[in-house]
Amino acid sequence: MMMPRFAAPIAALMLVSAMVAPAALDAQASQGTPVLTIADARTRQAVEREISRAAQRGLPVRALVAKANEGVTKQATGERIRVAVSTLARRLEQARDLLAPSPSDADVIAGADALAVGVPATMLRQIRAAYPAGSSVAMPLDVLTELVARGVPASNALEQITQLMRRGATPTQIAGLGASVQSDVAAGLTPDAALEVRARGVMSLLPSPAAAAALAPRGQRP
Amino acid sequence: MTDMERDPLIERVRGTLRDAARADARGAADPQAVGRLLQAVWAAPRPSLWRRAVDAWRSPVLSGLAASAVAAAALVLGFVSRGAVAPRVAAEPTTASGPATGEYPVTLAAHDGADARVATQFVFESTTARTVAVVGEFNGWDATALPMTQVTPGVWEATQPLPPGRHVYAYLVDGTLLVADPRAPKSGDADYGREGSVVMVFAR
Repeated sequence: MMMPRFAAPIAALMLVSAMVAPAALDAQASQGTPVLTIADARTRQAVEREISRAAQRGLPVRALVAKANEGVTKQATGERIRVAVSTLARRLEQARDLLAPSPSDADVIAGADALAVGVPATMLRQIRAAYPAGSSVAMPLDVLTELVARGVPASNALEQITQLMRRGATPTQIAGLGASVQSDVAAGLTPDAALEVRARGVMSLLPSPAAAAALAPRGQRP
Repeated sequence: MTDMERDPLIERVRGTLRDAARADARGAADPQAVGRLLQAVWAAPRPSLWRRAVDAWRSPVLSGLAASAVAAAALVLGFVSRGAVAPRVAAEPTTASGPATGEYPVTLAAHDGADARVATQFVFESTTARTVAVVGEFNGWDATALPMTQVTPGVWEATQPLPPGRHVYAYLVDGTLLVADPRAPKSGDADYGREGSVVMVFAR
């Protein structure tokens, strides 16, 4: 009878598939890497080489593919796309080193964006040091990037953000600060004034520094 | 040979019957043959639990069912353990808190959390556009990923769940013309020299 002979291998195959399929789906979903849309073969090969080198260095590839596709959408030349991808790869690597020891992909991408708008490299280290080890700094970096992009001096923006972090502000509160300053500046307020007012508003909702220090788990906050 | 025929108990019974048949053939009928047969059956060691489980697995009827059941259980266990069957978009909008007109994109109310996604509404106005799509870092600048729908003449709309943070985007009109959102802050673009727009997304 055929069934008993093949039942065990089929069952084993099904078992392996059952264990591998969720892992594969999980990996695909978490990476969410877009597909390169470059039509020109030479540019495509050059960009693929750049992305391959970045992947070997453990950099988040999806940001590089998106950067290349952005160039295609913006009808940039092949050379300009290659340079943009190469520049981003360097920024990603620098951000990863500055946010050591174990930044997530989101942290690294946010760090590279911050460097792109002119946030000094040392500030990435300061943000990392101001937040508990192991927790993501992507949101504070995004807000720092946005404040600097809106014209707030980087040192002022960093000071306000790190103060909020030390007082126990949540990522949502910090993101809200960035969004509020963004709309205030769009409405005509100067960037510095908008940050000052909005940061005070968030501070008023937080516990005092002494209470925040008492509430924070030992050794988690500087 | 089937599994049933390989069963050690059956083998033992068969051996005893064979001996009895040989004795019968020699004309030396053994009246105690049935007794010895019962004794042999009774004395046969019971197979271990593991052995019985393996035998059950190998039986023609059960093997197919057991294989399917174990594989299905492993599949469910695998997906559940990796959270694939749990809601990945942890935060669906509950109520739209953004204005119907005014500044866009509008971020809609959502729960907070590490995996939170905030439904973000994009609106673009153009009476001449034939197609409009939202392109940005969040969809890899893919022109086909987020097409907009013309909800009323000249008003295009699309909604996308986005992770909290800063997102750069633009509108792609008729497949070729890239337009920054006139109602949102500009992003700047040192790489390609064509600025887009920025939205700060956060769970309310």
